[in-house]
Amino acid sequence: MQTDPAVPTPVAGEQVRVWDAPTRLFHWSIVALVFVSWLSADQGYMTVHLWSGLSLLALLLFRLGWGLMGSTTARFGDFLHPPRKVLAYLKTQARGASPLHAGHNPAGGLMVMALLAVLLAQVLTGLFANDGLKFSGPLALFVSDDASDQSTRIHGIIFNIILALVWLHVVAVGFHHFVKGDNLVGPMVSGKKHRSRVPESANIIFAHPALALGLLLASAAVAAWILF
Amino acid sequence: MSLEPRASGYLSAPLYLACVVLVTGAGLATAMALRPAFAHRVLELVGLEAMPQATPNSFYATRVGPLFAQHCTSCHGETRQKAELRLDSYAFALRGGRHGAVIVPGKPAASELMTRITLPAGDDRAMPPEGKTPLSPDDVTVIRLWIAAGASPTTPPSAIKGAPRLVAEVKFPELDPAATRRLRAPLAGDVERLSARYPGLVVYEARNSADLELDAASRGAAFTDADLKAFLPLRSHILRIDLSGTAITDASAETLAQMTALKTLRLANTKTGDETIAALARLKSLRSLTVTGTRATKPALAPLSKAGVAIHGDDNAD
Amino acid sequence: MPHSPFLDQCKLTADTRRHFLGWGMGGLGAFFLNSAMAQPNGSKNAATAAALPIQHDPSAPLSPLPPPFTPKVRRVIYLHMGGSPSQLELFDHKPELTKFNGRDCPDMFLKGKRFAFITGVPKLLGTMFPFHRAGESGSWISDRLPHLEKRIDDLCIIKSMRTDQFNHAPAQLLVQTGDPRLGHASLGSWITYGLGSENQNLPGFIVMISSSSTTANAGKPLWGSGFLPSVYQGVQCRTAGEPVLYLDNPKGVSRAERRQVLDAVDEINRETYAQFGNPETVARVAQYEMAYRMQLEASDAMDITREPAPVLARYGAEPGKTSFANNCLVARRLAERGVRFIQLYHWGWDSHGTPVDQGLNVGLVDCCHATDQPTAALLADLKERGLLEDTLIVWGGEFGRTPMQENRGGQEMKYIGRDHHPEAFSIWLAGGGIKSGISHGATDDLGYDVVRDPVEVRDLHATMLYLLGFDYRTLSYPYQGLDQKLTGVKPARVISEILA
Repeated sequence: MQTDPAVPTPVAGEQVRVWDAPTRLFHWSIVALVFVSWLSADQGYMTVHLWSGLSLLALLLFRLGWGLMGSTTARFGDFLHPPRKVLAYLKTQARGASPLHAGHNPAGGLMVMALLAVLLAQVLTGLFANDGLKFSGPLALFVSDDASDQSTRIHGIIFNIILALVWLHVVAVGFHHFVKGDNLVGPMVSGKKHRSRVPESANIIFAHPALALGLLLASAAVAAWILF
Repeated sequence: MSLEPRASGYLSAPLYLACVVLVTGAGLATAMALRPAFAHRVLELVGLEAMPQATPNSFYATRVGPLFAQHCTSCHGETRQKAELRLDSYAFALRGGRHGAVIVPGKPAASELMTRITLPAGDDRAMPPEGKTPLSPDDVTVIRLWIAAGASPTTPPSAIKGAPRLVAEVKFPELDPAATRRLRAPLAGDVERLSARYPGLVVYEARNSADLELDAASRGAAFTDADLKAFLPLRSHILRIDLSGTAITDASAETLAQMTALKTLRLANTKTGDETIAALARLKSLRSLTVTGTRATKPALAPLSKAGVAIHGDDNAD
Repeated sequence: MPHSPFLDQCKLTADTRRHFLGWGMGGLGAFFLNSAMAQPNGSKNAATAAALPIQHDPSAPLSPLPPPFTPKVRRVIYLHMGGSPSQLELFDHKPELTKFNGRDCPDMFLKGKRFAFITGVPKLLGTMFPFHRAGESGSWISDRLPHLEKRIDDLCIIKSMRTDQFNHAPAQLLVQTGDPRLGHASLGSWITYGLGSENQNLPGFIVMISSSSTTANAGKPLWGSGFLPSVYQGVQCRTAGEPVLYLDNPKGVSRAERRQVLDAVDEINRETYAQFGNPETVARVAQYEMAYRMQLEASDAMDITREPAPVLARYGAEPGKTSFANNCLVARRLAERGVRFIQLYHWGWDSHGTPVDQGLNVGLVDCCHATDQPTAALLADLKERGLLEDTLIVWGGEFGRTPMQENRGGQEMKYIGRDHHPEAFSIWLAGGGIKSGISHGATDDLGYDVVRDPVEVRDLHATMLYLLGFDYRTLSYPYQGLDQKLTGVKPARVISEILA
């Protein structure tokens, strides 16, 4: 396989920090919570499901805030691109080129937004859903039975969409890893990328972790307010 | 995991794509193996599986299906499939749910469905769950007998002995005031006019009906032949007239004969007689006639009696 | 309108209270709305059908109102056998029980059970009177009811009635109001509330009482209106003395004078209504007017001396006395006059065996003697007059009697009796919309438990309402935050098996 001439030969030891800790923690917490939510619903542990769902809600709210006031690579402005640009990016990928991105590439950015939107929709419908037995979402009592049932149906449909998006996400990450030799998983764990994988122009400003903590507490408060 | 970046990957794009297809396929196959309901849905989607249908007059369709519809399908049906189980058709019921078949033909004791519906009410696994109407012992017997007889989609009701007899559920129609208004529109004016003149005398039989009842008995002797005549505009809607104790006479014979919808007529203690009775022969819908305390004679009543009218109050009545 | 300082002052006083109430109701309403919106999901399978709107003109609260659906019957005559007759001596034939007469009652029937008076291990008591099949239907009946036997093909005997009350007053309340506690509306109140009255000169709901020995247990609440407006309560009438107490004019007051007083009172009431707008005021005017009209009509309806001698003889009625026979005859006269709900109580069926008049061998025989002929005469008379086809007759007590002989205080008793038995009892229905000449349901060989087609009291009520053209789930009245229903909150059903 041809090496892209634009990519300099990697040199060991030259690591650049691209992902801040809150973003990374968010990512893996979401992975864990989506899994827990699925498992708990599947096995009928609805109390667990309620808590994992509310935690997801808190995290998603946090991520929305962090997308506005967090570190550069966590901001929507950094990875939200017009469709034209996403399409152009995909075209360069198809040609085998690998333009560099410190944070999410345009297609990845779209995936982030899609996952965020779908997860948020899932959590919100979950609030109004019921399992037809003894359990119902914390807000189901405030809507009619029909609305709650409708919400439950949508909750079921969105789960399939989540599965599809997760599949696409994993396939794309695998594509980067196996085909392009671009490990995306490692940096999401360590937060660091090799300098050669980061554009020279990249100027990443990291937000203070205290801000993240504050934002997380505020989000958790909103979720708790919904429950109580 | 190495943090060393690589210039290029191990696989070519087509090879990777092939791997993805393979892994995804394997994943779907595993899911199908673990989740029979999912497998059935996929197989059905690609046309590899047909859905057996229950015959309309089978034991299933007349006895078992209705019980499922009444007690189960709100959670195991078209809109929801708890545990991926559907009981809204014969095929779905036999197919089972997430944990496999719930009905083992011929073996009620081995059928999860039987187990669940016979658990004591407090049990967490009991179905229908707490708060819903449980199946009656008779309902359980019906399902048990059906499974024991092979859980067939075609076995007729007569082939399964010992089933508790079918008990009809009384259904109440929905009240539709708009429809009733339309129904009453042609006569509403007359009813209103006559109700103003004779308060409370003519009333609709029911809230969903345009049929009327005329009860003049409470007016007593104040109600005359002329008064009865005033109700003629409503003649095709009056089903029941009570003239007991009123002042009507045989002069009303012709009026009554024009009340074409009349089913029940009470003439008790009036000055009517055979002339009226003769005129009533023209009323094809008449079913019940009370002549207690009138001058009606048996020979005059005979033709009515023969025509199927129940006569009350002639001497040998009952 | 003439200006009255007194009324002005009343209005001022009332205004503050009404404002407060108005505000309070508004607040309550908002609260109710909130709770109505916050219906938990589980409630869907409960009968949540919308309440049937019932709007009576406040100035004529008993004006006839059509039922929602085409009715099978237009009136009910309820013959309540107070004290509860023994089904085992009248309709529920148990030859096996007779075989085991005098043996100890099997333990399985006593474990975990409570009885009103039975203690320890009682003895089984075989049927006291011979049974035989009667009529074309071949229904079983004992030799104590020779007259009713001739009408047996008109009856639908339910042998599988059950109740959950084993004391008279609560059990009577359950049968008559759908709830064992005080404060609920009686059957007749519900029906006159839902249908009004055909005859504006008579109450829509009339109660008459006779007795062979003891008197009423639950008393007036059995025909009370409970949470329904009081105008729908039953009016007790008598065949001896004044038909309705305090209805006649006081001595020295003529009907014309009475009219003058009423006119004056009415005028004041109308003024009050114009000022305050309280519909109860108009209802009061309506009540006074009805009482005035009743002075003529009620006296006439209750006067059985107007009946020819053969009719009196048929019922065994004797004018001037208080008897079940007289009451049955009056019931027919009231049915003819369009009274919706006629309630006859006959007390004395409480056959414990304690005093002699409560012995199965004496008291029950007396009760049968007092009621058998008039009951049969009422059935026959209604049939001949074409009234049976749109009348429902219900006969029954409030519970059954034990297959065991009562042993009050663990002692053998002087007279033979049976204790209260809620697990099974027999009633019968006759009239429009009901299959005749059938038996419904069955008890076990000893007559202890229902083994086939159990009928709860609320099922009977649901069926009665069905026959009158109502859906028992929608005939409701909002009270204390609940849409109150005759059938209560437990699931009921119309006994479709006995419908013609």
